Amino acid sequence: MMPRPKIVAALIFLLSLHLAILFAGFVAPQDPAVQNRDFPFVPPTRVHFVDAGGHMRLRPFIYQWVARADGVYEYQESREREYPLRLFVPGPRYRIAGLFASHTHLFGVDAPAQIFVAGTDNYGRDQFSRILFGGQISLAAGLLATATSLFFGLSIGCAAGFYGKWIDESAMRLAELFLVLPWLYVLLAVRSCLPLHLSPAQTFLLLVAVIGTIGWARPARLVRGVVLSAKNRKYVLASRGYGASDSHLLRRHVLPHTYGILLTQAAVLVPQYVIAEVTLSFFGLGLGEPMPSWGNLLASLQQYHVLVSYWWMFTPAIALILVTIGYLGVANAFHQQLQSDSI
Amino acid sequence: MSKRYVQRSPFSRKKFVIDALIDVDLEIAPKCMTALVGESGCGKSTLASCLVMLERPDRGGIWFEGNEVSRCDAAELAVLRPRLQMVFQDSAGALNPRFTAGQIVAEPLEIQGGESAKNLRSRAGELMEEVGLSADWIDRRPLEFSGGQRQRLAIARAIALKPAFLVLDESLSGLDLSTQAQILNLLLDLKTVHSLTYLLISHDLSLVGQIAEFVAVMHQGRIVEQGTRQEIFGQPQHAHTRDLLNSCRVMESAFHTAGGRS
Amino acid sequence: MKYLERRVIHAVLLLVGVSVLCFLFSDLAPGSFFDEMKLNPQISAETVAALRSQYGLDQPLPVRYGRWVKSAVRGDWGYSLAYHSPVRSLLLVRARNTLLLTALATLLAWLIAIPVGVWIASRSGKWEDRLTLAGTSVLLSVPELVVTLGLLYWVVRTHVLPAGGMISVGFDELGLWGKFRDLAAHLAIPVGVLVLAGLPVLLRHVRASMVEVLKSPFMQAARGHGIGRFRLLFRYALPAAANPLISLLGLSVAGLLSGSLLVEVIMGWPGLGPLLLEASVSRDIYVVVGAVMASTFFMILGSFLADVMLVVIDPRVRVE
Repeated sequence: MMPRPKIVAALIFLLSLHLAILFAGFVAPQDPAVQNRDFPFVPPTRVHFVDAGGHMRLRPFIYQWVARADGVYEYQESREREYPLRLFVPGPRYRIAGLFASHTHLFGVDAPAQIFVAGTDNYGRDQFSRILFGGQISLAAGLLATATSLFFGLSIGCAAGFYGKWIDESAMRLAELFLVLPWLYVLLAVRSCLPLHLSPAQTFLLLVAVIGTIGWARPARLVRGVVLSAKNRKYVLASRGYGASDSHLLRRHVLPHTYGILLTQAAVLVPQYVIAEVTLSFFGLGLGEPMPSWGNLLASLQQYHVLVSYWWMFTPAIALILVTIGYLGVANAFHQQLQSDSI
Repeated sequence: MSKRYVQRSPFSRKKFVIDALIDVDLEIAPKCMTALVGESGCGKSTLASCLVMLERPDRGGIWFEGNEVSRCDAAELAVLRPRLQMVFQDSAGALNPRFTAGQIVAEPLEIQGGESAKNLRSRAGELMEEVGLSADWIDRRPLEFSGGQRQRLAIARAIALKPAFLVLDESLSGLDLSTQAQILNLLLDLKTVHSLTYLLISHDLSLVGQIAEFVAVMHQGRIVEQGTRQEIFGQPQHAHTRDLLNSCRVMESAFHTAGGRS
Repeated sequence: MKYLERRVIHAVLLLVGVSVLCFLFSDLAPGSFFDEMKLNPQISAETVAALRSQYGLDQPLPVRYGRWVKSAVRGDWGYSLAYHSPVRSLLLVRARNTLLLTALATLLAWLIAIPVGVWIASRSGKWEDRLTLAGTSVLLSVPELVVTLGLLYWVVRTHVLPAGGMISVGFDELGLWGKFRDLAAHLAIPVGVLVLAGLPVLLRHVRASMVEVLKSPFMQAARGHGIGRFRLLFRYALPAAANPLISLLGLSVAGLLSGSLLVEVIMGWPGLGPLLLEASVSRDIYVVVGAVMASTFFMILGSFLADVMLVVIDPRVRVE
């Protein structure tokens, strides 16, 4: 069963996004924590192909931003020196996934110039690098929370569908309860009863646990439906006739039917949970400074002057949209594949 | 030795009371083909399920080779199960479409445990050959087989555990006549080779009249008449039996009158 | 009538279930409000103790729950120290504002989704259909947070609409029409965001449901009778397609409420959302519980209304 080209294309897109974020240290030209107090709120560096004399260059280059003598946060390009854009440039040291250490970056310019692809924030930190590193946190939160939800959803849905009777009744009533609650309200409520100031690691795990646990109901219902219909198939009955144990039936006949549902649900839930983490961090109830997360990166837009004057602070939203598009594309493709398979 | 003696009872389900089987008392002669006939909904399939211990009767018992099967505990059941098997109706639904032919046929052996994967595969190949399928098809999926071939797969699976008693639940329905004949021949061969006892459940009286040695007639949960083929077809005692036989003949004669092939 | 009775009982049970959860949560929350009050040097220990016994915090669990329910039913929903007011008055005002927003958004979303959904279902496969589906995909891909921030940015730059809040300064001096216009101007963006957020899903469901119905034999028969297209779509097909859509109505209220929280906070709309957020940060437990109960109540109400509509529209349900 060859996957359709749509699924492959969507998966490649998603994979590249994830790789870029996983290798954030390599792709990002700067260290996200380094502050450049001389360059707060710098607009994105412009890349030029035509120099001052009107000549075209093959290799793009940048000019250094320099503070204007008059305005406070106004910058202009200093045409003194051109800094060509290079690939595989030495830069700040970093670690990939805590294992590899290196200091080669995908692209960059010679010192002392710095390239700010998405501008800087009020501490002069490179937004682009922060977006990439923040993506690690936001994506990881989304993925782990999805795994949690699917784990609970699968277990409860299987138990309810397979064993039926009171297990099914009580599980479905509980699911209704969880489905009827507005998730963001519940999230805030639960967050409020937990200590406000936790270490970043604790906050992260807490976030994942809370977001993931609330969302088990929908996957559970879907799994239950699949399990119910599988359970009543004749071949399951036949296997019972051969003395099959419950675990054999579940493992060999019932569970394979759930894989499709689980994959589609995963593709739908991950972006939702990433958005949940972003929302919480945006409100200051998730990850806080100095750990970057797309949520707290966007939080600065709540200030009037930032919203009005510094449009590049919107760029984390682009990353968020790309991730959402990627996952929804995969979900759509899976869904279509599932439908055509079951015909 | 009488292989079976069934006395049965009402079967209640929660909100709706369905007396699927009422005071059923059936004797099945060993190493013979007994047919169970009746209209749809008369309880044939329920009786079959009870016989292979997929369901338990509310009252009464089932005896097999001197043991009361219906009151066994799990351990004794595990030992006895392989001896009582069923070939299900609707081969497409009875075979997991995601499994390969080899997996399907070997599954009962897999469940019983203790065999290596290689052994399972070779056993599956042997079983397939025995029912007239090429062992080369061991990796094909059920949907790639025709209806008759799927029925053979179902039979291969059913004999995998070397049963003594086999229920054939409408196993010959839904097949065209030539395939029916082939499957029938296969079943009769297997019966001889493995000394099997068959219970054929069917609504096709003409078929039953050709092959069954004993016949039991069911109507609305009860067995209204049972006896040898000659007794049932020659001198039907019960009104329902007579109705069944009459409708069968009416169909045949209508067919003839219409100029159809016989 | 049996169906409706069952749904009422069901709704009440849900509410009770949520209330138990809320109560447990408010009761067992570590680092409760009173612990923080104890740390406050301005409040004497006696006052705290008195407040604790007044709220009955030294009684066994079921008793506390009973008292909580009794006081809730009487209308006493606790006290907010942060706002220095009883929770009830806070909640009522905020709930009204949220209700205004969400009800309007739901209405508008459905008013758009039904005609458009019906129309593109009738044009299934053609360019209008594909364009609309592409549009909904785009809308689905942009999270509500981003849409809200984007619209806020636009509004702040262009000053076309007020950039937040519910009413302008000097609202009371306006005449009736002026008041209406002012409110509408403030409502525009929040309602717009909620409609944009909910529309894609609604539209797809309407379309899917209608496409199913349009394929069915009774529709073909009706077409054979030569009934006009408009009538066909709206008097014949739509009622048949309405069943799953009404259930969707019940569920969509949930998503709408969660979405409205975000919009309210960013646009400064004084609804339950900002209230809950502030209470969450300041650990104002009774407000938190009150806000959660209020929002859940809305959801159950929405779902129940959907059940009522189902009974009215689908005769098959009544026979059950």
